[in-house]
Amino acid sequence: MSKTADSSATGNYRVNHLARGRTLRGLGLATCLALLLGLPLLVNEYQQFVVNTMVIYALIAVGFNVVLGYLGQLAFANAAFFGVGAYATGLTMVHLALPLPLALLAAGAAGTVAGIAVALPALRVQGHYLAIFTLAFGELMRWVYVHADAVTFGPSGFNVPRPAALGLLGSPERGKYYLFLAVAIIAIGATVRLLRSRFGRAFVAVRNNERAAASLGVSVARAKIIAFGWSGFLVGVAGGLYALLNGRVTPDSFGLAQLLLNFAIVMIGGLGSVLGSILGAILLTGAPELLRNFAGIEEIVFSLLLIGVLFFMPKGIGGLIAARIPALREPLHRE
Amino acid sequence: MLEVRSITVRFAGLTAVSDLSFDVGEGEILAIMGPNGAGKTSAFNAITGFARPAAGEVLFDGRSITGLKPDAIAALGIRRTFQNNGILREMSVLENVLMGLELSTASSMAGVVFGLPSSVRAEQEAVAAAYAQLASLGVSALAERPAGSLSFGQQRLVEICRALVSGARLIMLDEPAVGLSPMERLQLGEVLRDLAARGIAIVLVEHVQDLVMAVSDRVLVLNYGKKIAEAAPEEVRRNKLVLEAYLGTA
Amino acid sequence: MLAQLAISGIVVGSVYALVALGMTILFRATSIVNFGHGEFFMLGAFAIYVLKQGFGWSYPVAIAIAFGLLFLVGVLVERVLIRPLGSAPFLSFAMMTVAFSFLFKGLTRFFYGRDVSMLPPLLNGEPLDFGSVVLFPQDFLVIAGAGATMTIFFLFFEYTQVGKIVQAASQAPRGAALVGINVPAFHSAMWGVAALTGAVAALLIAPSTLVYPDMGGQMLVHAFAAMTLGGFGSLGGAVLGGLSLGIIENLMGGYVSSSLVEISAYLVIMLVLLVRPQGVFGEWRTSRV
Ligand SMILES: Nc1ncnc2c1ncn2[C@@H]1O[C@H](COP(=O)(O)OP(=O)(O)OP(=O)(O)O)[C@@H](O)[C@H]1O
Ligand SMILES: [Mg+2]
Repeated sequence: MSKTADSSATGNYRVNHLARGRTLRGLGLATCLALLLGLPLLVNEYQQFVVNTMVIYALIAVGFNVVLGYLGQLAFANAAFFGVGAYATGLTMVHLALPLPLALLAAGAAGTVAGIAVALPALRVQGHYLAIFTLAFGELMRWVYVHADAVTFGPSGFNVPRPAALGLLGSPERGKYYLFLAVAIIAIGATVRLLRSRFGRAFVAVRNNERAAASLGVSVARAKIIAFGWSGFLVGVAGGLYALLNGRVTPDSFGLAQLLLNFAIVMIGGLGSVLGSILGAILLTGAPELLRNFAGIEEIVFSLLLIGVLFFMPKGIGGLIAARIPALREPLHRE
Repeated sequence: MLEVRSITVRFAGLTAVSDLSFDVGEGEILAIMGPNGAGKTSAFNAITGFARPAAGEVLFDGRSITGLKPDAIAALGIRRTFQNNGILREMSVLENVLMGLELSTASSMAGVVFGLPSSVRAEQEAVAAAYAQLASLGVSALAERPAGSLSFGQQRLVEICRALVSGARLIMLDEPAVGLSPMERLQLGEVLRDLAARGIAIVLVEHVQDLVMAVSDRVLVLNYGKKIAEAAPEEVRRNKLVLEAYLGTA
Repeated sequence: MLAQLAISGIVVGSVYALVALGMTILFRATSIVNFGHGEFFMLGAFAIYVLKQGFGWSYPVAIAIAFGLLFLVGVLVERVLIRPLGSAPFLSFAMMTVAFSFLFKGLTRFFYGRDVSMLPPLLNGEPLDFGSVVLFPQDFLVIAGAGATMTIFFLFFEYTQVGKIVQAASQAPRGAALVGINVPAFHSAMWGVAALTGAVAALLIAPSTLVYPDMGGQMLVHAFAAMTLGGFGSLGGAVLGGLSLGIIENLMGGYVSSSLVEISAYLVIMLVLLVRPQGVFGEWRTSRV
């Protein structure tokens, strides 16, 4: 039973191995950060706008992945979280004249509340029931945006005031970029820490085997509420940024087309991979801009992509990375 | 420590366990035997909150735990393994064992999200404890492997490891020796005796006779949901009812 | 007013019931929840529209060909998209149905733009006045058509040998294979039948609504609401749920606010799943350990 010699040897190997991986990752992260900070010098105003959109979608995809990939629950409420966040930021700025940081916090709070609301049925029902519930929830929210027009300005939406501070760095798009980047880095960093802790392990344990998880003391209900709440928070904040990005909020930005795009990004990135989600967002976000002019093309392209991923790359980009570049392998990645 | 008072478990017309009572004390190993379908797993489920007994009561440390949720029961210091499919297949062995520490890891959500030192330390300590537990069962080499890729016997060991690491006071094992080699079975027996010596109570459902005879203090035999014998191992072996139940002439 | 609302509710409700029944049969046979089912309905409507209005064929011919086409679409979906997934997890199957639903919607939009088209009624004639209730001939046709289709299903599933085997196959595919059912072919056929029920529903209701690429999403939600209300997976529940949903919707619209008609289905889904997930008419089926 006592194989202490053997185990301390593996332990040492592991420590060295880990340390090497950590320095590599640290260097990589530093390079990425430098590139990201310098990026505005290389792009024009329109390209900067597209990049800003990518940052928002990276945040959305990571948030969606928490529920879909880590917790393993099929939920269609992502576009609803996104919309709730956008409306929360936009409306608190318009009606209450909240300063930007508070308006973004409002988006996060609204998203969290929506996330927890959706988690409540997830405590009793799962699988297709949850999918159907969240589908109804998303459409109900859109009905509210359209019909509560005294507050939401109805079907045509409203303009969001542009905070003066965003213009300080030369161009408004550049100002937005640094704000979005800072928010995304902080939020995604926090998510990575959450996923690597006992909380993230509980999500994956619930996905794998609810009974076994419960037998180990995991409160399945609590894990679901935390995952959905956190997912709602991230996507809600992304919605708040989206309100700033376009300077306008309209109900039809948060419908089924939005949901399809979110699905495609997360699936291409890979379920249960944060890095994959970010790369998926970068890959797919430019596309709607290019495809917008042809009726139906957007849907055709994204659905074919989704089908292709399901057939040929079920683990997505994250799976490819995990297989090829061990240093970038994420813990809890789906095998 | 554990007192089971006349529990009955029913599934749509079928009585899986009827009027079952037994006690397990500190440092004691109770084996439950019985033919297939006798109700052993159902009794486990009723005790650990996965099935609601139709009648009867389960006490732990004198306190009723009947009707509590599985995770609440686990939190009291009771751990079980499953007859099949108890492993978290998509997680590594290390992560599986870490799940056993879910309740004793003191990191808070805010602490984790903001990277506070206390939570970071709690997480690191959990990893160290998990490694130590793996090492004590001689399986630390498997730590990074996905648990789903292990052999059936190894998965069992991981499940046991996961139950042990939690510092549980009562451990309930549902057919842990299935798929273990004779060597591994011996090792398992040693581990169980070792735990009992440390005061941990163990309930063991097992068909493998040599293991049961070697480790258990008492053997309880179920047939058609009813207790037909409860005695020391050598006595049970000679019990007429038990022989009949196993030979099918009852 | 109450009687009129209730009867109109039964008319639309019988269409919801039919679509919900199609989804339920597919679910029972393959345990797949088809999020693309609304698009079978939409494609059915477009097939009839194109053959009737585009090619100028008579209704009977257009209908026969459209039904055949939709059966084929269902079979093809199963063969090309579903079967190759093999034993993938639930999430992959659900995602695949989401994907093909958007594919069909996108294709239809690409070819037929964003405009809205109309189908002439199947039956013309004066509205019939029954005192407090006024009904159009088309309404009778809807009830009769949906009723007949559903009756055929029930007779098939409950009273024929094949139907019973089919039910058994959905419970235990391996057992079914043992008694000599060709399970893959059976699944293909069930997808075909499911798509076909979508086309029948489209035929019945499209003449009184409109034909447009987004029409499937609404129908999907209504079918889900019907299934949820009646107890997911129950054939009788799907029918009862569909009829009740039609009535609820009309009463909400008539007595509360017309803007509530659009969201009755959403509210029904959310309420039922929160309060009584097994459905108002359903029993809770516990899964085995
Ligand atoms: N969830 C359930 N629903 C319906 N019947 C069940 C359920 N679980 C167990 N049973 C039935 O209860 C009886 C007892 O089953 P149980 O699994 O407790 O037996 P066991 O002694 O553990 O058998 P084995 O040695 O095969 O593991 C069996 O007849 C079984 O079919
Ligand atoms: Mg058993």
